[in-house]
Amino acid sequence: MDQLELNPRIIAAVSRAHLKSAREVLCVSGSDLQRVTGLSSSDVQQLLIAAATSCRRHHPIAALVLHRKFDAGLRLSVGCPVLNQLLRGGLLVGGVTELSGESGAGKTQLALQLCLSVQYPTQYGGLHSGAVYICTEDSFPIKRLQQLITDQSLLRSDVPPSLISSLQFSDRIYIEHVADLDSLQVCLSRRVPLLLTRGLVRLLVVDSLAALFRSEFQAADWLERSKQLLTFSSTLHHLSSRFTTPVLCINQVTDFLSSSDDSLGPLSSSVSPALGLLWANQVMVRLMMRRLQVTVAQGDQSSVLRRLEVVFAPHLARSGRDAAVEGEGVLTSV
Amino acid sequence: MQRSVSSLSLSPSVKVKLVNAGFQFTADLLHVKPLQLSKETSLSQLEALEVLQAVRGETGGGASSSLTALELLQKEEELRSIVTFSSQLDAALGGGLPVGKTTEICGAPGVGKTQLCLQLAVDVQVPQCFGGVGGQVVYIDTEGSFLLQRVVDIATAAVQHCSLLVEDDEQQVAMATFTVETILSNTFLVRCHDYVELLAELHLLPDFLSNHPKVRLLVIDSVAFPFRQHFDDLSQRTRLLNGLAQQLISMATSHKIAVLMTNQMTTRLRGGQSQQVPALGESWGHAATIRLLLHWAGPQRLANVFKSPNHMGATVRYQITSEGFRDVDQSEQPPSKRARKHTVQMAAAREPSET
Repeated sequence: MDQLELNPRIIAAVSRAHLKSAREVLCVSGSDLQRVTGLSSSDVQQLLIAAATSCRRHHPIAALVLHRKFDAGLRLSVGCPVLNQLLRGGLLVGGVTELSGESGAGKTQLALQLCLSVQYPTQYGGLHSGAVYICTEDSFPIKRLQQLITDQSLLRSDVPPSLISSLQFSDRIYIEHVADLDSLQVCLSRRVPLLLTRGLVRLLVVDSLAALFRSEFQAADWLERSKQLLTFSSTLHHLSSRFTTPVLCINQVTDFLSSSDDSLGPLSSSVSPALGLLWANQVMVRLMMRRLQVTVAQGDQSSVLRRLEVVFAPHLARSGRDAAVEGEGVLTSV
Repeated sequence: MQRSVSSLSLSPSVKVKLVNAGFQFTADLLHVKPLQLSKETSLSQLEALEVLQAVRGETGGGASSSLTALELLQKEEELRSIVTFSSQLDAALGGGLPVGKTTEICGAPGVGKTQLCLQLAVDVQVPQCFGGVGGQVVYIDTEGSFLLQRVVDIATAAVQHCSLLVEDDEQQVAMATFTVETILSNTFLVRCHDYVELLAELHLLPDFLSNHPKVRLLVIDSVAFPFRQHFDDLSQRTRLLNGLAQQLISMATSHKIAVLMTNQMTTRLRGGQSQQVPALGESWGHAATIRLLLHWAGPQRLANVFKSPNHMGATVRYQITSEGFRDVDQSEQPPSKRARKHTVQMAAAREPSET
């Protein structure tokens, strides 16, 4: 409070009212401030302006200045050019991206692929850093990760093989097992910020959300669940914006309860992402993955074709691309 | 009409002392000396001096004169509305987004609230000779959804529309000032990460607006996001939102800008039925003069004007294309019905639809 450029009389009145910081001053409404400090309305105005100036991070900037910055439009490549095109470059580096789908749709596959893709330099669509993978249910698919690492040169033909072999992929993926909400909160408030501060990671994956938030609460604890969900979301957003880091949340799906529940838009399948409207409001990019009825043959193996769809995003059209889960990863063969 | 002492900008305890000593109206204080005042009211000499300065300052300076309703009507008509590229929506709003008023857009995630905000942020800059307002925009982004990639899409499409409409020299000259680069340079972006930053920014905006008189639009996308973090004291949230609403209304009228804010939807249980309603509570419903609800009806997107002092609630269809917020293509109008003077709205109506 002492650092504000104000008449000492005003500062004295504020400390008498037990307001210790500029933030606290702003959290009290105008008329309450007058009552609590006994200052005139013009003094209160001066106080608010001084407090606001100290709380403000940046002046309004012309968008052109941002547009010209070298990292404007930075994206995290998914590893497949067709899927990148669907996403207009890849994952956003700010904000929460959600990937939902039925079990076996391929969500974990795509997440693993992103954990490798982030490690490449920015000229190859990476962020030149590692990833932290928070597992909430099954154990981490380490064998599948090894297979993906071995076959990286097959997937990423755009990257020189010498670069691929020089990267120690598994060293830079930090796996956290989290069984309940409390340990999730501890992980997100201590271990993850530490990794981010040290520049060791620049991708955060939570696999999966619904597991934690559904199992712990009964229907009657809806209020407590909402509170926990909002706290969790707030933590993710702060981490994402503070460290310019993409956050990928994997979510499960629930059945469509009734056809009148189409408030979140038409979906191409009969399932919708879990955790409802409250969570949907926190998500910036919503993607869904589903299994199609079509199989695709690769040599002597056949696998079910998948579809990655954009449900909503501020910069993407509602569209989708078919993809296959091959040995080397999730990709659309052209 | 006598002005009462309690309306002066003084601390409450001073006002109480003045009233107790019998000074009800400012006229009573006009001929009193400081020493005399301090004796009669038991104020300190310094306080008495401040009181008299306040009285003289406020009556000497331009006391706001009252306006007749006719003058108000004329003033309102001078303020042009901000035309969107969706003629149906403009019609439903009575000409476009009104300047000098606050408008709120509510809707579920993904329905198009941010798209409409970005569209209007570009539309406010359309030069006056094309039927636009030719103003600048302050865009407060609380969610991080102001993506330059998308803004460039919308700006490029808008510039293209206008360049197809050029008919005379004046418009040709205006096009030089209406390019993607100038659109980006006239958009002032503020990123707020929590509600305290948002409140701080709004306290500092009047100053910014005085220094940038060409701003005609203020967008806050969204108000709900920072205020729906967990508040231990919901009544504090209500008081803060009320204060915020008042600030926005006062900025809209005194700086002649249109204020546009977005809100989220929440579910409310009513007699066993759950329905979706705008978030932020009942009292927030009074904050905006006009409220738009964007919602889905099957595969269609609909915009419903559900609160407006001037117009009956209308519902229009819209779509989001790669170029922005647009009408859904109607059947072709016969040539005789098209007016000779082309405007931005006409060109948008003729545009082919895209999914």
